[in-house]
Amino acid sequence: MEQNQPKNYLVESILVTIFCCQPFGIAGIVFASQVNSKYASGDYEGAKKASENAKKWMKWGIITGLLIFILSMVFVFALGGLAILGGGNF
Amino acid sequence: MKLKYIGMLLLAIVLAFLYFFINPSEVSFLPKCPLYITTGIYCPGCGSQRATHQLLNFNILGVFQQNALFVLGLVIIGYHFLISGINYFFKKKLYNYIYHPKTPIVLLILIIVFWILRNIPYYPFSLLAPK
Repeated sequence: MEQNQPKNYLVESILVTIFCCQPFGIAGIVFASQVNSKYASGDYEGAKKASENAKKWMKWGIITGLLIFILSMVFVFALGGLAILGGGNF
Repeated sequence: MKLKYIGMLLLAIVLAFLYFFINPSEVSFLPKCPLYITTGIYCPGCGSQRATHQLLNFNILGVFQQNALFVLGLVIIGYHFLISGINYFFKKKLYNYIYHPKTPIVLLILIIVFWILRNIPYYPFSLLAPK
């Protein structure tokens, strides 16, 4: 019985790695590699499990990235964070 | 499911406008990399906001200066969408190397080597650090 390879979320994980939250993205890439290698060796169940893990890490990467972005915007515009930071460009 | 894609598209358009008009090197309200703030270490993604600005203004050299990995990421994403687009619209079965067992490992090694090299504060490695 031929089954399709589960989605490996490699592209999404790379996006997460390059744009934010590297630990999540790197975990995603590790699981993506497991999806590919397990599927290649015929372990369909293992590949599916790795795919779910990759998706989970990728999702948390995107969520934390957006959170950091939104929180820092709120910090700066609503709370006057620039004054707290002394307006320094760091 | 459809709503999710529309939301993502809207977000992408808003961000594209934001990063087209605002140069992150000149303003201080955009978020800084949490790793860089806390430890002073550049991560593999440091400089990608500035690189996005350079890319949207068609300054390819500027993209390389900020984050060389950004270019590789764009190429991979472009490749993936090209292959899956061709397979979807033309009912072809081209092999997508994203699903090759070796691809993620090679990328992982590339990212980690890039991460280490860009934190070495001497020429020529300092070229890899964001400006």
